[in-house]
Amino acid sequence: MEKKRKKKPGLFLTVLPLYVFTICFVVGPLLYMIALSFATNGNGSDTIWRFTLDNYKKIGEPVYLESFVQSFQLAITSTVLIMLMGYPFGYFMAKLSEKGKKRMMLLIMIPFWTSSLIRMYGWIIILQAKGVLNGILMKLGLIQEPLKILYSYPAVVVGMVYALLPFMILSVYSSVEKMDWSLVEAARDLGAGRARAFFDVTLKLTLPGLLTGVILTFIPSMGLFFIADILGGNKIVLVGNVIQDQVTRGSNWPFAAALAVVLMILTSLMIWLYRKITHVKDLEGFF
Amino acid sequence: MKKKIIAGILCAALGATMLAGCGESKEENNKELVLYTWEGLFPQEVLDSFEEETGIRIINSNFDSNETMFEKVQQADGGDYDVVIGDDYIIEQVVNADLAQELDKGKLDNYKNINPLYQSQFYDPENKYTIPHGAGIPLIVYDPEQVDIDIKGYADLWDESLEDQIATIASYRAVEGMVLLTMGKSMNEEDPEVIKEAGEKLKELAPNIRMIQDTNTQNALLNGEASVAILYTSQVIAALQENPDLEVVYPEEGLGFGIMNFFIPKNAPDTEEAYQFLNYILEPEVAAECFDFVGYYCTNKAADDLVNPDLVVPDSVTKGEIIQNVSTEAEEVYNQNWTEFKAACD
Repeated sequence: MEKKRKKKPGLFLTVLPLYVFTICFVVGPLLYMIALSFATNGNGSDTIWRFTLDNYKKIGEPVYLESFVQSFQLAITSTVLIMLMGYPFGYFMAKLSEKGKKRMMLLIMIPFWTSSLIRMYGWIIILQAKGVLNGILMKLGLIQEPLKILYSYPAVVVGMVYALLPFMILSVYSSVEKMDWSLVEAARDLGAGRARAFFDVTLKLTLPGLLTGVILTFIPSMGLFFIADILGGNKIVLVGNVIQDQVTRGSNWPFAAALAVVLMILTSLMIWLYRKITHVKDLEGFF
Repeated sequence: MKKKIIAGILCAALGATMLAGCGESKEENNKELVLYTWEGLFPQEVLDSFEEETGIRIINSNFDSNETMFEKVQQADGGDYDVVIGDDYIIEQVVNADLAQELDKGKLDNYKNINPLYQSQFYDPENKYTIPHGAGIPLIVYDPEQVDIDIKGYADLWDESLEDQIATIASYRAVEGMVLLTMGKSMNEEDPEVIKEAGEKLKELAPNIRMIQDTNTQNALLNGEASVAILYTSQVIAALQENPDLEVVYPEEGLGFGIMNFFIPKNAPDTEEAYQFLNYILEPEVAAECFDFVGYYCTNKAADDLVNPDLVVPDSVTKGEIIQNVSTEAEEVYNQNWTEFKAACD
């Protein structure tokens, strides 16, 4: 290391901005947050820099523990649904013609041109009592009274799946596209059935893509509190909502910091566990 | 060299503008009045006709938060401005900092027009310093076609027939204050035990809650998601505009107020003009025009017949309380109550 640096001092200078950026905007705030989580909450939004573990003890109260459980449940539900929908989507998309792939990619990207917040408001119009979905169902005579879909748990799941599905599709797509199809052919030649060839070869080769997709959907779905706000009518309390509440109306920043630290530890743990189980070392295209 | 020239020009420009500033202030010997208010508080016609009637030139400067206003008035040591407006809680700070002038009511013929319901509040118990101008009141609004019971107060919200029917604003102090009122307590209860009790009672309301949201809450009522709603004043007015058949409830347990107040700063340069202006604003016709314009509840009794009837609190209401800051311990309990309530709603 030392030798190299001596040989090319310029090289170190080129990565310096990166270090500075990371320290200023990632490591610094992170350390500040960890420090803050041990501080005492003062009057209003003041923070008193006196060491305390109270913030962490407070997380042990049932209502806050419950919010963690809720968040994990919702994140797992959404991620599983996204996996079930996104994997086949990405898989078949990779098998389209070049032109088809491009078109499909465009269609997936178009929604990103609008703010996700506004797209969630779009779902309100679809799901509300006098909305599009209820209108269609009633026209078809399937229901007599409008269903109460909006401001419920399923509505939040719909929002989550809708918001995060593209990330799964794209990461599965990129990994299926890169796959060497001759390996599948070889498996088939050697007598594996379609299903066996898929599970033994295709799935295993595309697992890194799937894992990237899972991480890209699982982590955000822990924190997308505005979806629970807008489509859940604020009735589903996720950790993200609690943190937001504590930073804004509750004005208890140290507690919010403690919640964020615990959330971070738990998500890292989940990722670590997932990698252990699937034996995947690298995340496709990331890290 | 070039730099020096540029610097020279800049210095000259600076000097010139300073001189220009001096000149301006010298010219203003005529009568004038400096207002310091929220932007869009007065309709332009009201200000124009005051200028016409009296020949006083109005200089209207605006602030965007109560805190900015307080800071500026403090910096000027109660000078610079002649009439200032502020919300209840900041007025308390203004009065405590001795920045407001005691009003000479002999100069305000129209003082009697003020609705006493909005007076004698915590920030000015003896009504020495302030003149209320507009109130915000969270209220219950419901659709009588979809609700079978007659809602008279907060207590009726717990009725079983309202299951999954109520949309509410997300102001936790306002909502928990309502619960406290049903228990015969103050909206500003400080005793953690009592607040906890209110939290338990609030949780019993959870099955009836359809959604909790601070913005455009009235939409839930208008698009059929909910049949009852707890709304802010602006939302009540917006809902009634869209559907005049909605029923507004002035809960019998009492109301939660937010009140804007005028005061004259301690060292106001143009006191006489300030009184003239306040007296003018207290005229029923002018007041009605103002409240119609801003959409806040009318605090001028004499203007009640002239203003949009939706902005008049009925005579049956005799009690209103303003939500104030509470101790950190109490605040924490209020907060936790709210989180528990939201979780229970699911």
